[in-house]
This record gives sequence, structure tokens and C-alpha cells, in this order.
Amino acid sequence: MPETKELARHRRERIWMWIQLMPVMTVLVVLFGGALVLGVAQSLGFAPWFGVNTFPDFSYFAALWGDVFFWKSLGLTLYYAIVATLLSLVFGILLALALVRTFPSKTLYKYLYKLPLMIPYTVGIALAVIMLGNGGMLSRLMAFTGFIDDPSQFPQILKTHMGWGIIAVYVWKQTPFVALTIYAVLLGVGRETEEAAAILGANKRQIFFQVTLPQILPGIISSTLIIFAFNIGAFEAPFILGGGFPDTLPVVAWRYFNDADYTLQLQGMATVVSIALVAGVILYSYLAFYRRYERRIGRN
Amino acid sequence: MRKTLLSLSVIGSLMAGTALAQDATAFRDGFVAGDVSWEDVQTRAKEEGEINLYYWGGSDKINIWMDSVAVPALAAEGVKLNPVRITGTKDAVDLVLAEKGAGKGLGEGSVDAIWVNGENFATLKRQDALLGAFADKLPNSVNIEWNPEDPRALLNLRDFGVETNASEMPWSGQQYVCAVNTARVSGDAPSTFDGMMSYLEANPGKFTYVKPPHFIGNTFVQAAMYAHNPDGNGAVPFQASIGEMGAAELARLITPGFEYLKALEPHLLGAGGTARYPEDPKALDGLFLNGEIDFSCQFGLYGVATGLRDGTYPEGAEQFVFPEGNMIKNKNYLVIPGNAPNPAAAMVMANYMASVDSQATKLEIAGMPPGIDPWRLSAEDSAKLDAASPGLVGVTQADLDANTAPDTNATLVDVIEATWLEYIERDSSESIEAIVANAVANLK
Repeated sequence: MPETKELARHRRERIWMWIQLMPVMTVLVVLFGGALVLGVAQSLGFAPWFGVNTFPDFSYFAALWGDVFFWKSLGLTLYYAIVATLLSLVFGILLALALVRTFPSKTLYKYLYKLPLMIPYTVGIALAVIMLGNGGMLSRLMAFTGFIDDPSQFPQILKTHMGWGIIAVYVWKQTPFVALTIYAVLLGVGRETEEAAAILGANKRQIFFQVTLPQILPGIISSTLIIFAFNIGAFEAPFILGGGFPDTLPVVAWRYFNDADYTLQLQGMATVVSIALVAGVILYSYLAFYRRYERRIGRN
Repeated sequence: MRKTLLSLSVIGSLMAGTALAQDATAFRDGFVAGDVSWEDVQTRAKEEGEINLYYWGGSDKINIWMDSVAVPALAAEGVKLNPVRITGTKDAVDLVLAEKGAGKGLGEGSVDAIWVNGENFATLKRQDALLGAFADKLPNSVNIEWNPEDPRALLNLRDFGVETNASEMPWSGQQYVCAVNTARVSGDAPSTFDGMMSYLEANPGKFTYVKPPHFIGNTFVQAAMYAHNPDGNGAVPFQASIGEMGAAELARLITPGFEYLKALEPHLLGAGGTARYPEDPKALDGLFLNGEIDFSCQFGLYGVATGLRDGTYPEGAEQFVFPEGNMIKNKNYLVIPGNAPNPAAAMVMANYMASVDSQATKLEIAGMPPGIDPWRLSAEDSAKLDAASPGLVGVTQADLDANTAPDTNATLVDVIEATWLEYIERDSSESIEAIVANAVANLK
């Protein structure tokens, strides 16, 4: 059978495509892929620079996963990430729905709500410490006005395993992000379908769950994917506002890396790889689930 | 042609690099052997031109002193001091070891000097990453007691029980001192661990200590071990290394202390729920200032005086003697790593840091007690140091001297720290013997 000859024009196009992809691919493969390979190798006992080389050695994972506190830490990590993501999602949708309507001073408000997006997480954490801490503004105001005798009697919000401080910072920062994404989707969709449903006699509930929600679902999926991935791997907020031992997994990893005993860094790397595994599995199944749903409703 | 030139220049620069390293090694060997005159060191330091000092940058007062006093003083000697502020001394140690691992030798690394003590020095020494015996050959080393016959020299010769061999220069001395907020505590502050327990039973949650493995937390734990030593001889057995002592003996010595800490835990800050331990001294200061705790223990002879001056301590703060007879005292040092890029400039810097002028201004501005020994100084210089002292609040120097204890051997600190994490933090149900044996086995 004669081989079909590739047209010169097609070949040129293909080469051009690869050239365009090169910069991104290089960064991904070399920096991200390289770090990933090195991380996995280290977690399996490859660290000749510390005089440790027992590759492949699964004892670091065995020690980690065999410890009940690893699972407690994982539970805490998931708890903070999921609760914060859900709360941000609910507030974000409400905000986006409000923004498509017209109300007085809307232009000003459209700038105001984006403010937390521009402020770094650490500043948000500092604000939480200043406002909500036991020596913070709220507790001092309460003591000043005589509700409590002493700032230290103020109920503990930060530094507990309930994690209200951590969740508050995440929600404060991520609600505008979710709102922004969904607002953009809503603008693209327009209001015609909602109006049509209303004319056909649907009530508000039905309009939201059967018309609006399916339309904004792509925005919901992409924004929750991003914030959940951040929340599960974030370090600063649980480190500063968390309740201490047992810590979330990123903090556990940091403690291993920061120990004077170098060999513990391998254990730390095993922790980091575990976080990546957990996050990867969750995000992958979330996406797979969503794809199936999309196919079922006939979207491609 | 161009290629040849290029390769020639590459070879040239490589050779220059090697020559530089050889030159630096020869200089180091000569200096350590005492063959290089101080003038030659100064000349070489000017050629090197700069020095990178890595130090914990968490104290504004020390940073201000460094920038406004030390930098100009060294500029006058023709050396540019680059203060590199780090959040943990271990970062600098990591850098030195990573560069050493990458084959960078003397003259080729990036760290000229680090402010260290204890475990970090022990790590550098164990990894053979020290420049060598330079500290007793500096002109200003006359201000420091090196004579091993004098018991007071112990703090200069041993760093947490590890022999310094003059490879680090004493820079400052510290004592673990507790402060009480007299606005909240009526009557005398407790002076023993038992007294603290009864106070907390009556006033739950009004005390906590910094969480080990932070060294300030470790020190509190060590003091508790000394005070509950079943042989009643306090710090004495804790000067031996773990190799000399053995795990079983250490477990016997620390069991009563750990039982005390375990019993104390439900009465600490957060009483009723889980005990809360602050991560670092800054967080501890915050708790003390807010009145969440009534006592605050950390290193700092003049911490209360300077804290009252700048408002980081509550107005009623006073120092007090706690725990009686076991107030741990140690020194901290400037070490030159074995792959320092500018060894001569580092020596000039270390020599300046050992001078009476720099020690007096450091004491006055940063509240850091002198690392040089007053009895080695002239009456005039000694008076200069006294005048610069911010002063003690509520205790006398004699009180402190009468209750001094030495620090714990660095190898034991690792084990005690690991035991705390296992027995107190993780609330392990294993016996202390098993935990200690395990920790010793894990120690590499």
C-alpha cells in the first residue's frame, strides 16, 4: 500500500504548532515534571546529598500512612478545604446573582467586592489576627464595653481545630473569585432563558435549579476546582491560625523540612507526595464525574 | 578562532577559580597555624571587600543595631557588611551544607558567618563544615576567657556540651528568665515548679511555654528535667553526651520531669480544651501583653527592661527567679563555615564583634548581653559595659548568678525534644523508656 504523503503545508503547520507550544511545554516538563520526579524519588529514599540512598524504599510512606495522626491531619486538611470551598461557592453564587440585577450604586459595588482578590492571603491572615484574636479588636471592644471582664475571656475563634479563622480567611478571599467567574458566565448567557421560564410559569426556585444552575455549572466547576486545589495545599493560614497539633498536612510537611534532623526531610517529601496524590485523586474524580454528567445532558 | 578564544577564556576563568580556592585554603591554614599577621588579614579583607553575615532577623532592635552601628563601623575598616536576615538559623546551615555537597570549598560558598549555637553548631561540626580554630587568634579575643583552668571559661569552650575548639566566637550570653505581670498576680510569683502547679490549679490557663522544638521551648523543658532529676543533682548529669550516658539512664533521669509536664498540661493556656503552645517568642510576647498569660519565660536578661521601654511588655512586668537554682544560661556565637567566600573579611568582622565598643552599643541598643567576659576587661571598659546595660527589673544580678544552671548537651536536647513531641504533644501511650530508646535509635 502506498504511503499517503503528508502535504508540505500540513507539516509546516504542525511544526509551527509545536514551536508555539514549546515555551509552555518546557516550563511544564522541566520545572514541574522535574520537581515532581525528584520529589517522588526523594520520598522513596533517594537523597544521596544527605548520605541517604535506599531507593526504592517504601518505609517513609509506610511510617506516614501507618500513623493514626496522618489520617487525623488529612481529615483536618480536607475539612478546612471542603467547608471553605462550599461556603465560598454559596456566597459567590448569591453575589453573582445579585450583581446581574440592577440596584443603586452598583458600579461602586462592582469595584468594592473585588477588593479581597487584590489583597494577599497573608494580609487577610493578619487582619484575622488583629480582628478576631483574643487580644484583637473585637475582644478589646467587648472588654471595653463591659460584656466581658478581660480580653482573654473572648470566645476562642482562632487557633482551634474547628478552624473558623482559617475558613473565614479562605471564604473572604475566595467568594469574590467565585462570584467573578460565575458573573462572567451569567453575562454571557443573558437573561432571556430565565425570562422565558418565568413567562411559562416557573417559580423562582424552579428557575434557579432548572434554568440558571445548569447554565452556570461550568463556572462553578472551574472556580471550585481552583480554590479547592489551593485550599488543600495552602500552608500559611493553617500554620498561623490553626489549632496546633494535629496540624494540616502542609504544616506537617513543613515541620519535617524544618527539623534539625536532615533525614526527616524524606519523611516530609513523602508527606508532600501524599498531599499531591490526595488532591490529584479528588480533583480527577470530580472532573470525571462532571464530564459524565455533561455527556448525559448532551453537552460536549 | 573565536571558539578557541572562548574555550581559552573558560579554562582561564576555571583556573582562576581554582587558584582562588587554593589561595584561600593557604590563607586559612596559615592563620589557624598563627603564621599570618593581623595586618595581612586586614589587607586581604579589603581585597575581598565584603562579608555576608547570616543571622536570625526576627528582632527589630538587633536589625537596627546591625544597620546603624555595625555596617558603618566595618565600612570604616574597608569591609562591606551584608546582613542577611533569615527566619531560622537552620536556613543558613542548610545553605552551607548544600553548597558543600555541591563541591564548593573555601572561597567559593556564599555564607561567611552565621549567628549560631547548640544544635546548629553541632550539625556544622558533625558535617565537618567549619573553617577552623580562628576565634582565639583574633586581636580582640583577649576579651574572652579561653583558659580551661578557669571554670568560668566553660561557656566559651563548650556550646551545649559540644567543644567549640575556637571555631566560633562568643558573641552574646543569655539566661533563661521568666517575667511576671504584677498587675495580675498579687503576692509572690511562684519560684518552683510545684509552686507554678498550685498557682495554675487556682488560676487555670494563665501560663504556657513556647512549643518545642523551638529552642526556647526546649529550654523550659530542660529546666523542668533538671528540677525533677531523681538524683537531686540538677544539671550535672545532663552535661554528658547520649553516647556516654545511654538511653536507659536518660529515660530514668527525665521520667519525673516529663510526668510533671504531663500533669501540668491540662492547666496551661486553653485549660479545659487542648493546651495551646505558642510557636515562637513573638507569639508568647503577644499572649503576655494581652494578659492571656500571667508569666512568660524566655531567654533575655534585659528582655523586660527593653520590652517596657518599647511597649512590647505589659506595664506591670517584672522579672522573677524561676525555677530556683535552674535558670539556664548559655552563650551564642559567630561561626565561620568552611566554605566561606571571604574568610579574611569574616575574621575582621568577628574581631569587630568582639570589641568592647561593639558589645557596649549592642547591649545598649539591642539589649543583647555581652559575649565577652567582664573580668578580662580593664576597669574602664567594664564600666562602659555596665553603663550600657538596660538594667534588670525586679531581680538583682546576684539573684540570677545564685540560680544559674548550664545548658544541656546538644545530643541530649535532640532526644528530650523528640520525647516531648511524642509523650506530650502526641500523647503517646508508650512508656518514656520506650520513647527515649526509640528517639535514640532514630538519631543519626
